Amino acid sequence: KGDYYQYLAKFKCGDERKEAADQSMKTYQNNTPESIQPISMQTFTSMMNEILNPSTPKSTVSSIFKTLIHSLLHSPESHHSQILKLIADLSSHHPSLAQLALDSLQSMLPQLTDPPSQLTIEYLDALVNISERPVEVDDSLFTSICLAASFPVRLWMVRNSGCRVMVRPELLYPVLMGMTKEPYPCLREEALEALVRLGECAVFEEVSLVKGCYERGVQLLSDNEDCVRISAVRVVALWGLMLASFNVDTKTYWSNEVFAMLCSVVRDMNMKVRVEVFNGLGKMEIVSKELLMQSLSKRVLVLDQSPTEQFVLLASNVAGALVHGVEDEFFEVRKSVCQSLRTLTVLSVEFAHAALNLLMDVLNDYKVEVRFQALETMHHMAINHCLELQENYMHKFLDVLEDNSSEVRFSARKIVRLMKLRNHLLFKSTMDVLLKNLDSYPQDEADIFSVLSHLGRNHKQFVDLIANEIADEVEASFEGNREFNSARMAALLVLSISAPFLNADVCPIPPVIFSFAATFLSRICCAFSDVMNRDTLLEYLIQKSSSMVQPEVNISNGEGQNPLAKDDVQNVAGNEMIHSEITINNGEGQLPLSKYNVQNVALEMKPPNDVGQHKRPVHDSVVLTYINYILVKLPNIWPKVQSCSANEVLCSLRHWKEELTSLTFDSSAPADASAFALLYLKIIKLVVEVWDHLVRKTEVVSGTVELEDKLEKLDGRAKELMNRFIGFSAEEEISVLELILLTYTLRLCRSEICSRNFIFKRMTIIYLRTESFLKLRSDVASGFVAELGSLIRESSNGGASCSSLAFDNCLKLFSPKRLMIREGIRHRRAELSIPNNCPDYPLPFAPGLTASIPCDITIHNISSNCRAWVRMCINDGFTQHVYLDLQSFEVSGEVRKISYAVPYYRTPELDSFNLKVCIGLESLFENVTPVQAHGGPKCELVLLCEEKIVYLSRVL
Amino acid sequence: MAIETLVLGAGQEVGKSCVVVNINGKRIMFDCGMHMGVSDHRRYPNFSLISPTGDFDTALSCIIITHLYCINTLFLRFHYFLIIKISHSLILYSYIFFFGIICDSHLDHLGALVYFTEVCGFHGPIYMTYPTKALAPLMLEDYRKVLVERRGEEEQFNSDHIAECMKKVIAVDLRQTIQVDKDLQIRAYYAGHVLGAAMFHAKVGDSEMVYTGDYNMTPDRHLGAAQIDRLRLDLLITESTYGTTIRDSKYAREREFLDAVHKCVSAGGKVLIPTFGLGRAQELCILMDDYWERMNLKVPIYFSAGLTKQANVYYKMLINWTSQKIKDSYPTNNAFDFKNVCKYERSVLDTPGPCVLFASPGMISGGLSLEVFKRWAPFENTLVALPGYCLPGTVGHVLMSKPPKIELDPNTKIDVRCQVHQLAFSPHTDSKGIMDLIKFLSPKHVILVHGEKPKMVSLKEKIHSEMGIPCYHPANNETVSVPSTVYVKAQASDAFMERCLKPNFKLHKCSSQELSIKTLTDKNIVPELQVINEKAVFIVEDKSKKLKVVHNDEVLVMLGEKKTED
Repeated sequence: KGDYYQYLAKFKCGDERKEAADQSMKTYQNNTPESIQPISMQTFTSMMNEILNPSTPKSTVSSIFKTLIHSLLHSPESHHSQILKLIADLSSHHPSLAQLALDSLQSMLPQLTDPPSQLTIEYLDALVNISERPVEVDDSLFTSICLAASFPVRLWMVRNSGCRVMVRPELLYPVLMGMTKEPYPCLREEALEALVRLGECAVFEEVSLVKGCYERGVQLLSDNEDCVRISAVRVVALWGLMLASFNVDTKTYWSNEVFAMLCSVVRDMNMKVRVEVFNGLGKMEIVSKELLMQSLSKRVLVLDQSPTEQFVLLASNVAGALVHGVEDEFFEVRKSVCQSLRTLTVLSVEFAHAALNLLMDVLNDYKVEVRFQALETMHHMAINHCLELQENYMHKFLDVLEDNSSEVRFSARKIVRLMKLRNHLLFKSTMDVLLKNLDSYPQDEADIFSVLSHLGRNHKQFVDLIANEIADEVEASFEGNREFNSARMAALLVLSISAPFLNADVCPIPPVIFSFAATFLSRICCAFSDVMNRDTLLEYLIQKSSSMVQPEVNISNGEGQNPLAKDDVQNVAGNEMIHSEITINNGEGQLPLSKYNVQNVALEMKPPNDVGQHKRPVHDSVVLTYINYILVKLPNIWPKVQSCSANEVLCSLRHWKEELTSLTFDSSAPADASAFALLYLKIIKLVVEVWDHLVRKTEVVSGTVELEDKLEKLDGRAKELMNRFIGFSAEEEISVLELILLTYTLRLCRSEICSRNFIFKRMTIIYLRTESFLKLRSDVASGFVAELGSLIRESSNGGASCSSLAFDNCLKLFSPKRLMIREGIRHRRAELSIPNNCPDYPLPFAPGLTASIPCDITIHNISSNCRAWVRMCINDGFTQHVYLDLQSFEVSGEVRKISYAVPYYRTPELDSFNLKVCIGLESLFENVTPVQAHGGPKCELVLLCEEKIVYLSRVL
Repeated sequence: MAIETLVLGAGQEVGKSCVVVNINGKRIMFDCGMHMGVSDHRRYPNFSLISPTGDFDTALSCIIITHLYCINTLFLRFHYFLIIKISHSLILYSYIFFFGIICDSHLDHLGALVYFTEVCGFHGPIYMTYPTKALAPLMLEDYRKVLVERRGEEEQFNSDHIAECMKKVIAVDLRQTIQVDKDLQIRAYYAGHVLGAAMFHAKVGDSEMVYTGDYNMTPDRHLGAAQIDRLRLDLLITESTYGTTIRDSKYAREREFLDAVHKCVSAGGKVLIPTFGLGRAQELCILMDDYWERMNLKVPIYFSAGLTKQANVYYKMLINWTSQKIKDSYPTNNAFDFKNVCKYERSVLDTPGPCVLFASPGMISGGLSLEVFKRWAPFENTLVALPGYCLPGTVGHVLMSKPPKIELDPNTKIDVRCQVHQLAFSPHTDSKGIMDLIKFLSPKHVILVHGEKPKMVSLKEKIHSEMGIPCYHPANNETVSVPSTVYVKAQASDAFMERCLKPNFKLHKCSSQELSIKTLTDKNIVPELQVINEKAVFIVEDKSKKLKVVHNDEVLVMLGEKKTED
């Protein structure tokens, strides 16, 4: 005779004994079924643990299962509920056994149904829990349970009928109808809930059935129990609608009845009932206009025409229902009212206007949820074209835009997007509010831009009116020393460029606006993301402003700098070009906006004679123009640097840098140009930072270290700029040279720097170069260069004698030139890759012997007479250079690919080591000190690529 | 059985609420107010009608006080001084009248209590809600002083009387059922209106009734709407102050007010809001604090110190009696800790720039509000917002007609160039609210009190025609008697009980049958054998005059027996 304790003790001790345990289990079942003692509490818990433990082996689980089923047949009824619960848990954790459990329980069920008791329900409950699908129950079982004497049994059945237990609707309906008259409130409630479920899924052919249920619901609306009333409201709403939809002719009549019936319980004292009422009202499909209007007025309305009989009867019930809802104390109710208005406003336009008044009041609510819901409703109304904001509402509405909850603001802006404003003043005030919004909630910027772009697109005529104001403001701020980068500027630009978006006809927006907008590209592109992507937008902007680029370049080539005069010229020229282009566009025909994509725009933008050409040149020039827009702005910000507001300048610089780095390229030429521009910007940025230090004389210790670091960086960058780019035009060359002179001057300004002589020497060299260059072109040196020249001549005995003060004076004269990049610039760079090398697959070497490192090198824009080196260093600092004889390679051209096995001579006595490999170019100008004595490069190297790490390991 | 209602006060008039109800032999007095308009014996309800002998202890089971409008009166004394100071010659006369009316609307539910309990000698229990109990002694004392010291009247009761009286008071909480004695149960329901106002439900045996007191069906910002369960009532006694008015949404009024204030403030102007009672001031302050919060306004709101202190003490203590809004936000921040409200200091008056100032007393009848008014009124960008009604004789009342100049006394004239905005908020329900409450409770009878006669008549007609409920509006000292419900106690047979526990309907489509456990009939009209529902229940009266409910299966058997007996 086995013992459960023993059996379970075995369970707990390791896997080996489990088999034995199972064995003993089986014998025990087979032999003495009737002698089993009831399972104890402790056993239940340990079984539970086994079941919940996911690592319990399958065999154990199944034997537990067998035991449970077995004991269900043989143990007293008091234990059944626990066993059933365990079985349910077991099958939910081990789905493979679920079907088996289901079958065995189902087979046991019939024995228990007469008379139905608590136990039957427990069986059914377990069945329902195990089965994923609703359980089918036959009619006789269902009726016997529903008519059972015990109240909880009935309650369970009603609660689960229609959702977890399937019963024929024909049977369910009368039973539930009977149940609604039960004396127990919770049975009535559950019966009504079950009727709601039934109404949702079943279809009834007979009107009388539906009507009967509806009327029952109406009766129970005045039940004494809150919970019953809640369910009754649901029944009335659902079955009332079913009743109404039976006959098309009487639909309005019945809908009105249902509407009035629901409205009559609006003043219920229970909050949940009221919420339910408004949920019900939100489902109405058709209601007569008079009743809707009545629901907004607490007084019974006096109608113009003679009211229908039905209206007279219902009016007092309906009166003020929605107003009461909106005034409710509980926000749940108010929210629900707003939700119900969503559908109701669609039913009648007149009502929608009146209800808007109510919604406007709700916008003052103290609960965010309610305000949000009200706005969502208004948005819904706007989509359905029944939202018309009068002027007096508009004022209120604009207040909401400044709400301190972000959801509410977003929702309000969603409505602004769809709005059609009546007059110029409203448009202006809306715009002002949005701009103000931008100040107070900078985090909403993207959304506000997008709204502005919609606003501009929808109200072209108003934008035209204020276009000139905007243009003036934008230009003033771009030229003057005010904000360069402010959100306000970006917003104004978005607004003005969005106006001519759909309509290509003549607009008074100056093209210069578009060019300014281009510099904000990444910031504003999200505003147009619904109609075009970033690249398309860029092309659109360039197209609109392209006409002005050419003249500007010419001018800056030609003569000195008079920004005011220049802009005038631009405008005139720009306008002309735009005109001509527009005629072309009209000739080609308009493309629908929604289909705007890269290609469409590209096609549309090309002048007709270019249509046949390849697309790329257009794109290249676009990028180039774009870069130039940014560079053009540099001289403008310089006064700011001098006036010590470095932070702002840095901010804009950073922004431009981001713009540049986010560009993508199809071809190399613009990539080179942008690399140049990027480097240029980086240098300017460093200059500004250093400048800030020097001018403000912040001589903090940490500051000094930082400054040294920055100067070092600046030096490196300047060298890079000199050496890695070729093909400068004369102006570019001078700009670059000036910039380098500037960096040296900055260094010299620091009196503590020890190597003054060295730097001075270098500067002199560069200066001479500049001077000769200027002479060659018979150009006048800028004030800065001239001053510097005289300084250098004065102290020919070496820079040591010059005071840093003298250099300070020089610095004050500096201002960056207007720099226009052209396509000629080439970026010298190299790509280095070592195939098949990574920490896991190192290259082999034998110590002491030369190791060869196979390199794939791609070099760009490096002529054969350049002296290129491969530099290899180990961690300890030892460096080896290998000359890369470019002439020996057959291939030539701008881009050259070379495969070359670089020898490394000094392999150390180690198991493995890492090499840092990179390619460098001998710097042409700075042969001041040789870097390495034995066989290395004569001049300093300028690195052309990132350092690559090569992993080597000893051959075993 | 009947419920007899004796109206001692507020019958076809406003003020002096006092209703004595006799339900099945239990007598309850609801409210015990006094009329302040008159100064003779008519000021108090005619208590002799309750018991000619003056033995009130046996005549009354208890007194229930629904509410009091306490906080206004706390400031009355202060108010009174200032009026005298400013212009004694002119306003002294109108003051008496004015004071009378103020108290009329505020002491009308409680005023005579001390007189009744202490002077007339009533020793039974008195029930009030907690806030009312907390505030009643303060108010009564204040009232007594004003009455005796200023008005120079004969002292009807003294401070000891008040203290004694308060000892008899038992405080009740909302929805707390109190067993007054073996038969009488009372329960308080929230009524809105003022802090601590309640509707009282009384039940004696099977008869139930509700006395509403003053209530409000639309929620304020700081007080909620009335809440009550659906009860089986025989009688509803309701106030009918605004029996014919239907008020539109108060949102519109609030919006106008806020717009006016916002406009004024954004133009750099100053806003003066003279308020009296803390209730109204709180309401407006919550409204504005919310608005400030939402609109991110930074303009300071000042609240003169005395008001703030009082408000915080009472409202924070009694948070459970305020509106849902305040209860919702209570765990995170107390709505009465206004974020945008700063403490008032005198320097504020001359500080340039926009601000909003709540100053007491209301109606600009003196004190700080008058002082501020004198300073600010000559400026065009100032806004004076008058919440509520202004009595004749106050500056507020004169201001409503927007005169170019106001003459305070022969020596003081104020140029008035400021804008004036009026707001009307009332804590009483309107006629729609009354109708809605009656409809929700659907009682068998309605009695209207606390209202003007013509309005009551028209409301009575409306109730009668729309809901078919008999309605009465007794005058003072009249008695109305309505029949009450008495459930007949009957013995149920075992077979009947058994059937009752099972649902007794059969499975035909829509053919379920009435199930009735109790039959509500008066004992007098029960015949010897009555068939209530042919198929389900029979009521049988046997020889011992006990009613018995049996099932129809048994009826035949019993009938057989009876026949044999006869």
